[in-house]
Amino acid sequence: MSAVLLVRLKITDLTAWSALETGRRLLPRGITLERLVREQVLLFEPQPGTPPDVVEPGLLKAVRHSNFFVNPNKESYRLLGAGDRGDTWIPPEGAWGLLARAREDTRDGALMERLQREHPLEGLAMIRRAKVWWLWTLDARGGAGIGAASGALGELHDQRQGLLVNPHSEAAMVLDGPVPWSRVDRFLTEQTPAVHVEA
Amino acid sequence: MATIAVVQIPGVNCEYETARALEVVGLGARIVRWNEPSSVWNEFDGYVLPGGFAFQDRIRAGAIAAKLPAIDQIAAQAERGKPVLGICNGAQVLVEAGLVPGLHPGKVELALAPNRAPRREGYLCRWVWVRVERGPGHAWFASRSLPAQVIPLPIAHGEGRFLTADPDVGDRIQREGLVLFRYVAPSGAPADRYPFDPNGAMLRAAGITNRAGNVLAFMPHPERASWLRQVPLDFKNVWGERRREAVGNWGALEGPGPGRVLFESLARKLGVDAPRETAR
Repeated sequence: MSAVLLVRLKITDLTAWSALETGRRLLPRGITLERLVREQVLLFEPQPGTPPDVVEPGLLKAVRHSNFFVNPNKESYRLLGAGDRGDTWIPPEGAWGLLARAREDTRDGALMERLQREHPLEGLAMIRRAKVWWLWTLDARGGAGIGAASGALGELHDQRQGLLVNPHSEAAMVLDGPVPWSRVDRFLTEQTPAVHVEA
Repeated sequence: MATIAVVQIPGVNCEYETARALEVVGLGARIVRWNEPSSVWNEFDGYVLPGGFAFQDRIRAGAIAAKLPAIDQIAAQAERGKPVLGICNGAQVLVEAGLVPGLHPGKVELALAPNRAPRREGYLCRWVWVRVERGPGHAWFASRSLPAQVIPLPIAHGEGRFLTADPDVGDRIQREGLVLFRYVAPSGAPADRYPFDPNGAMLRAAGITNRAGNVLAFMPHPERASWLRQVPLDFKNVWGERRREAVGNWGALEGPGPGRVLFESLARKLGVDAPRETAR
């Protein structure tokens, strides 16, 4: 089980604002995009057999008492420990999510190296990185219209369809309700290599 | 005189030197803002999307610019056979808009992913060597260079790695000769490691065209190598020798740099005979 750190801007997120403005133009008639929030996702993978209470106190200290992960002047965070994150990841009220990760490898070795230099954490094997877009959409019947909205705003197909994820470099998972963390962990740790054609 | 629109999208930062590089080879160049009415775009004989950070690279480099009505208009003009050159950020826009490689027209078939090299990450700003390949884009963008010529050019990008998740796309790009410029070692040998392979791009591609050859997504910056004065003094090759010989000679420094061949090729294809100050 891994701890998860979710970081979002508390000042205006201009990327999310641009995604909102552009996304509204791409949605099919009858669906509106009310709000959009972007969060960075960091997954802290312990070494096999290492219990969470070996890694997490140090991690909590690094998050709370340094600017290593979070700049409190502009960012807010949620740190979900392995023990208290529950069985499922529940989207914010009224929202659905699009969890996006690099297709080839989610490991952030450089961040891991810097962390171990500045805040050595015993028992930590790797940090993985992804991002999640939370979207508040409404269709004409009062539902979220997730199918149509994720088709219009999710994976990029052509100039008119898709925005937030380029499937040639990223993989995405739709969070359309509570999703078991085991599935999220699997999605973030499995290898989905992009094709690399040799010359 | 053939006139090229240099498209000024908010956040680009190479439009003036790109226009200058077009003018020096005899082309007309006009910087055109992204929000000009649709009727404006068909006035031009070609289009250049210059480098920079369109819309601050929000979401992904090129992602928002690719959705602009202006890009729709330019895509329609490309369909009619007019040339489109995307340099660096402009290349990212063309890829995100599905104009390159255009195997299934309109469909996005590539990404320009973050650079990948052992123990290196992030933005990369250095000179590299690219080899001119044969392909449908040769007549448009490389006719003033010799076959297999190796050209030094600067790159400056964080997301320059051509990548596809569709094996068929990779195979067809290779088979149909759509890689017009390929990263190589200075000798012309395959770029098997950093820094010759600067970003891990599929097929070592520095520039990929569409099937017709009139649209090129090109990661290096030829406009930053269009004058001899832009060549580093310490280059250990013929360009470096020329650069050192030209010290103190303003006229010689204003002569062509290695990147000018790209603009000269475009000018020639558009029927403009470029003035050639010195032999390469």
